[in-house]
Parts: sequence; C-alpha cells; structure tokens
Amino acid sequence: MAYSEKVIDHYSEPRNVGSLEKSDLNVGTGLVGAPECGDVMKLQIKVDPETKEIIDAKFKTFGCGSAIASSSLATEWVKGKSIDEAMSIQNTDIVEELSLPPVKIHCSVLAEDAIKAAISDYKSRNQD
Amino acid sequence: MAFDEPACHTCETTLVSRLFCFSCNALQPFPREIDFFEVLGFPVSFELKSAELEERYQQLSLELHPDFYGSAPEAEQLLSETASAILNTAYKTLHEPTLRAGYLLHLLAEKQQLDERSLPEGFLAEMFFLQEELDELLDSVNSVELSAMHDDLQNRKKDIEADYAPLFKKHEEHPEDSGILQQLQTHLNAERYLRRLLERIPVAD
Repeated sequence: MAYSEKVIDHYSEPRNVGSLEKSDLNVGTGLVGAPECGDVMKLQIKVDPETKEIIDAKFKTFGCGSAIASSSLATEWVKGKSIDEAMSIQNTDIVEELSLPPVKIHCSVLAEDAIKAAISDYKSRNQD
Repeated sequence: MAFDEPACHTCETTLVSRLFCFSCNALQPFPREIDFFEVLGFPVSFELKSAELEERYQQLSLELHPDFYGSAPEAEQLLSETASAILNTAYKTLHEPTLRAGYLLHLLAEKQQLDERSLPEGFLAEMFFLQEELDELLDSVNSVELSAMHDDLQNRKKDIEADYAPLFKKHEEHPEDSGILQQLQTHLNAERYLRRLLERIPVAD
C-alpha cells in the first residue's frame, strides 16, 4: 500500500513536533491511543485566555506514518482557530486531505479524538 | 450422536473438520460463517495442544491441496482452493496463543457489550512515557539500558500471556460473568502496546 504524497510530506517533515508546558493553565493536553494497533498520540493546544483562540499546538505520536501525518495535520489546522471551530474538525476532513485508505481511517479518528481530548482538558482546567 | 453435530454430506459420518471427511475422503461444502475451531475440528476453547493442532493441520492441508483436484469437476477445484485458504488462516490464528486469545474473545464476546478500547488505569500515559524514554535510549545507543528495558517489557508481555489460559478457564466456569471477558480484552489491548515498544528495540544476539 502506497502512502499519498501529503502523508509522506507530513511524515518526513512533521509540523509542530514537541511539547508545551503541561502545567500552564492555558495549555490543554490530550493523550489518546489506538489499542487495535498500539499507537499512542499526545496533542497539546495553547489558548489565548482573552480571545480563546488556539495560538499554538504541538504533538508527539508513536505510530505509523498515517498516524503521524494525521496528528501533524491536526496541529496545523487547529492553530488560529477558536476552540469551537477546532471542536468541529472531523476525522473525515483528515481522511480527505491526506487521501487515507480505509485501513488507515482509525489514524484520523485518533487525531480527532486527540484534538477533542486536548480541548476538554483545557476546558476542565479553566472552569469559571 | 447429537443432532447438531455436522455429518458428511456423502457418507453421513460425523465430521471432525467441517472441510473434509476422513472416512470417505470427500471434500465438504462448508457454511460461510464457519469458525476456525470447526475448520480444524477442535472444541471452542483456549486449551489446545499444539502438537495435535499441528498434526491435524498437516493432514488436512494434504487432503485439501488443490493439486489433487486438478482433474476434478470445477466446483470441487474451487472448493479445494477456498478450503485450503481458510485452513491456512485458521491454522495461523489458532497456532499463535495471542492471536488465538483475540479470536476466541471475538467469538465469545459476540453477544456481550465489551469496551473494546479498555486499558489498565494509567497505562496509556505509562506507554507514552516509555516510548519517549526509548527514543532517548535509542539516540544515545545505551545498550545496557536498552536490553534492560527489553527484558522488562518481555517479562510484562509474558505475564499477560500467562493469564490467558486461566482467564478463559474461569470464563468457561462462569460464562455469565462478562467481567472476565472484559479483563481479557484489557490484557489483549495492553499486550499490543508492549509489542509495539518491543518492535522498536533492536535485539542483540
């Protein structure tokens, strides 16, 4: 099975790899895994407390090329978005952008779950 | 003989394998929803003697081999091909204990609502931590610590594998307790993460 050009691009030059300070109140951390393949993905967002806009995002994924590409793309997409806009990103958008084959759809689901987990972590730590 | 025991479609002898009659040497038309235990003729159980499995597989693969049906009617040629294919898949699955455990759980859990993604408490965070630690060890080529990590993961994997047989036995004794199946699911999930870590560690011989 051949990877699409976009998967290879993200896989060979992943965007936004790294970590944000977990204890920072403006940072939300999502840690998710895919038990069917043993992949594990951490995605973090940093939110501007005034505008509620996502100003930074980082990820680290241990998994196949499609999982890395999906999470790399996810960090690119959430940056500059409001929390609500980021919540509306669907795994199917990722599948389409990266032309993922059916057997790799779970990688895009993982990335969507990671975004949602990071947002929900941020929200739970910033309840007024 | 019980009514639901499958019988040969030509000589009516009770079948060992659903694929072939050892009495009259006839290929058997088999149902689509056949399970791997029926394919090889063993009871649906985790307990399986590997020597017996091996022997049955060898016998059947010889009998079903498409080479023997080269001049047979087309329907029989086709049947020997599909039967051989399913025999190979069934053997590969039942032969390897972890695959057997996963397959058996899939059969047993059909009617139960299991959480398919369950993991032990804190396990995912630990796996992420170990993956990062492994990155560092691989970068620094620290062979002593790498092999210590390898042994540690290998032992944890073995501990999980050693639990499959007693857990399936417990399930046979208490089929109504779905907690046992859930425990098996958690074990299988955890083992996959350990395998992924182990795959990344080069083994020194």
